[in-house]
Amino acid sequence: MKNRIIAFIFTVAALTAPAFAQTAQLPAPSPIEKELAARASNVDEITLDKNTLAFASRFMNGKDKDKTATKQLIDGLDGIYVRDYEFDKEGQFTTEQIEQLRAHYVSAEWSSIVREREHNGRESTDVMVKIVNGKTVGMFILDVEPKEVSIVLILGPIRLEDLNKLKGISGLDGALGGVEFNTKAPDKKSGDQ
Amino acid sequence: MRRLLIFSVVFAVLLVPVAVLATGDGSFDGVVRSIESRYHVHATRIPFMGLISLVAGKSMQAAVSNMHVAEFENFAGPVDGDELNRMIEEKLGADWKRMIRETSRRGNEQTLIFVHPEGERMGLFVVDLDGHELDVVQVSVNADQLNKQLGQYEHHQNAHRLPDRD
Repeated sequence: MKNRIIAFIFTVAALTAPAFAQTAQLPAPSPIEKELAARASNVDEITLDKNTLAFASRFMNGKDKDKTATKQLIDGLDGIYVRDYEFDKEGQFTTEQIEQLRAHYVSAEWSSIVREREHNGRESTDVMVKIVNGKTVGMFILDVEPKEVSIVLILGPIRLEDLNKLKGISGLDGALGGVEFNTKAPDKKSGDQ
Repeated sequence: MRRLLIFSVVFAVLLVPVAVLATGDGSFDGVVRSIESRYHVHATRIPFMGLISLVAGKSMQAAVSNMHVAEFENFAGPVDGDELNRMIEEKLGADWKRMIRETSRRGNEQTLIFVHPEGERMGLFVVDLDGHELDVVQVSVNADQLNKQLGQYEHHQNAHRLPDRD
């Protein structure tokens, strides 16, 4: 009986060990996203976990320096989460909903590196990074326009200038295009990235 | 000992239906049938797809295999993107993770791409609605092998490219 208990404990330990060894997981979607999706005329959702990113990076073998750098970047990431909601008309979401979205993804560990507010808060851009032991381990971008809301969450070592490299991944080009446009100028000004 | 045996049998009997429910029927045919049934349409299947898949797999050294294609033409009426997504997710089961979803109300466009890690390979399941045509494709890809094949093709193409004249 004792042997059976020991065997059972070892089996459970062996089965659960990989779960503890896993890296950062993408969070569950915010309930607000469902509300936004219900009203949006166009919805783009991209969810790339560690497995899918590893699959994508395998296509980046070769002697090309850019490809190699992108592959290294992707190999280090734990996940990419992109949501883009486009609306036919203005007023399809409230400032409170945007605040709830921000609060869902960003905790006290996150620091703001870009914060832009225009047109009485109807347009805004937030870029936040999660820093652990002096290293950036995540980036969150929330870009709000009167008829569009974009969310980008990248888990793993990432810098603002790396966003261009990620455009090589199918589907991310359009999603990151507008975000890069908004973050480029403040990034240069701050000069800390 | 007998109690342990009974416990094992009961456990197995209880576990099997849970496992089946959790994974859905996970098949290409299951998804196609549910689309046919829900939207009252009939799929056009590519004849000899099994043979094509086999030949493609052999010629590409198993870079691409397990190909399935179904095409729905004259897809009438608007499609509720949430409903379509839910239906496909249920049919594929929890093992398949949705990677991309693009949905547009105006143009009746829907794209769903699911992935399923299969060891060295990756299973891809694509549902694409464009206007009145809906395509369903399932394929299993070995990224390393496919990359190698594509590399050889690029090398071959570059070798036959004429030098630019200035």
